[in-house]
Amino acid sequence: MSKLERDARASAVLETLGIAVFIHASGALRISGQPPDWVGLIWPTVTAPDATLPGSSAFLENFLIDARECWTAGGEKRARSGPWVEQTADGAEVSLEATALTIGGQSILLLEKLGEVFEAKKSMLQKARETVIAYQRLNSEMQKKEILLHCISEEMNAALANVITALRLIELEKDPRRIAQLLSLASRATEEQQTLINKVLNVFAAELEGLRGRDIDGAAIAETKLGDAIRAAEENVATQFADKRVRLRLAGSGLDEIRVAMNSTHFIRVISTLLENGLQSAPLGDEVRLSFAEEAGSLLIRVSDNGPSFPPDICANLFSRAGTTTPGPQASQLPLQFCRIAVENCEGEIGYESRKDGGNTFWILLPTAGPAK
Amino acid sequence: MIQKKICMIGASGVGKTSLIAKFVHSMFSDKYLTTVGVKIDKKTVSVDGAEVMLMIWDLEGDDEYQRLQMSYLRGTSGYLLVADGTRQITLDQAIEIQGRVAEAVGPVPFLLALNKADLAPQWEIEQARMDDLMARGWKPFKTSAKEGAGVEEAFVELGRRMIQPS
Repeated sequence: MSKLERDARASAVLETLGIAVFIHASGALRISGQPPDWVGLIWPTVTAPDATLPGSSAFLENFLIDARECWTAGGEKRARSGPWVEQTADGAEVSLEATALTIGGQSILLLEKLGEVFEAKKSMLQKARETVIAYQRLNSEMQKKEILLHCISEEMNAALANVITALRLIELEKDPRRIAQLLSLASRATEEQQTLINKVLNVFAAELEGLRGRDIDGAAIAETKLGDAIRAAEENVATQFADKRVRLRLAGSGLDEIRVAMNSTHFIRVISTLLENGLQSAPLGDEVRLSFAEEAGSLLIRVSDNGPSFPPDICANLFSRAGTTTPGPQASQLPLQFCRIAVENCEGEIGYESRKDGGNTFWILLPTAGPAK
Repeated sequence: MIQKKICMIGASGVGKTSLIAKFVHSMFSDKYLTTVGVKIDKKTVSVDGAEVMLMIWDLEGDDEYQRLQMSYLRGTSGYLLVADGTRQITLDQAIEIQGRVAEAVGPVPFLLALNKADLAPQWEIEQARMDDLMARGWKPFKTSAKEGAGVEEAFVELGRRMIQPS
């Protein structure tokens, strides 16, 4: 194969790869061979062999300083520009990279239109940088929370110390007026503690409200295998049930075949919370029933107990923030508020029913996510 | 018309590209799209009656994945050093980057933009830190690429510093 043939073949390979080869001579850059199509879209005068690259790119002008150094040094030295963006005549953006090198005494500039490999690298960098930013935000949030927790524990400790001191002094005191003063002091300290606890609950409640409309992680809502999640929830509450000698009765079949459209962590927490509520309400030695019914793309889950029903004023606020600061006789509203938000985020519903003869049922209706794979 | 090259410098995700998008195209997107490499935009501004064409080089954020290439700063008349006011660490990074840039290009005018000023509840730069920056003579600008606050002002002020006789 002659040198001419070899050069022609090399040019054909570069053309196929979409790489434009320019030869630097007499201060100008002339294209070698037929320019790839994309070159003419950016530089409309460069459409035929031997055309000169116009000096219209500020980035290239800057890079040519490094390129000239490289050509002057000769040998195997190369200079790479790194990626940059040029615009075509119709405003489309094209990512390019230039390489300067010397071959056979000729100063060469390769211009490459960046394709799939570059896009893959860009995608990886995008994910990596998103992760770094998320980590920095989380780290900062944790530091703030640590300070807040420290302040809360200090405040609570101070109020508790006042209560303890007052009670100890009452033990030693004989004077009824002084005892009344100490009781008043202890009462005020207790109220301070209650106020503080309510404030903390309100902050958490506000954060939970902020989660509405999206998953905690901001990610698309995931799917959960019902069987696995129920077993995890059962494990969470097993000790508490054993302590109160309350049985957990499961009604429903084919759990492993069902997937619900909810993040598994949230789902387990929701079920655990409902079981804990049932347990708190259930009479000693009695049972809590957990049942499932799947129908037309939805799953109805019911948690029932035979304990006393909640009074109407508590029922009205069971799942709302308004109920947070007024704990009911059995249910803890803040976790129930979380349950409502988590369920509604997944386009589900949550509710409560009481039976006339006593007993409570919490129910949730969730969309299913097709059969398990 | 006077033509000046300016570079956008700072850590990743601080909003360099968003500031340009707001300043040049009056656009903003909440979605974070990382810049890889360099993109150049132009805009003419009026600085104290003089028309100045700004050639704005949007440089990839400086981080552990890609260090700032000093060759891109060649011939720059000034730079906008950008930090994210909701991530204090990016201000520390901006200060560190400025040290490297000053070493490479010398005493070129620059302006510190503390971006994302619209996210006031998450703002992490405390007044003491602002006072420190003022003491350095940096006079930071609070900007919001989302709402546009301080954006034009920051570019025009940088333009002013660049055309002032030294």
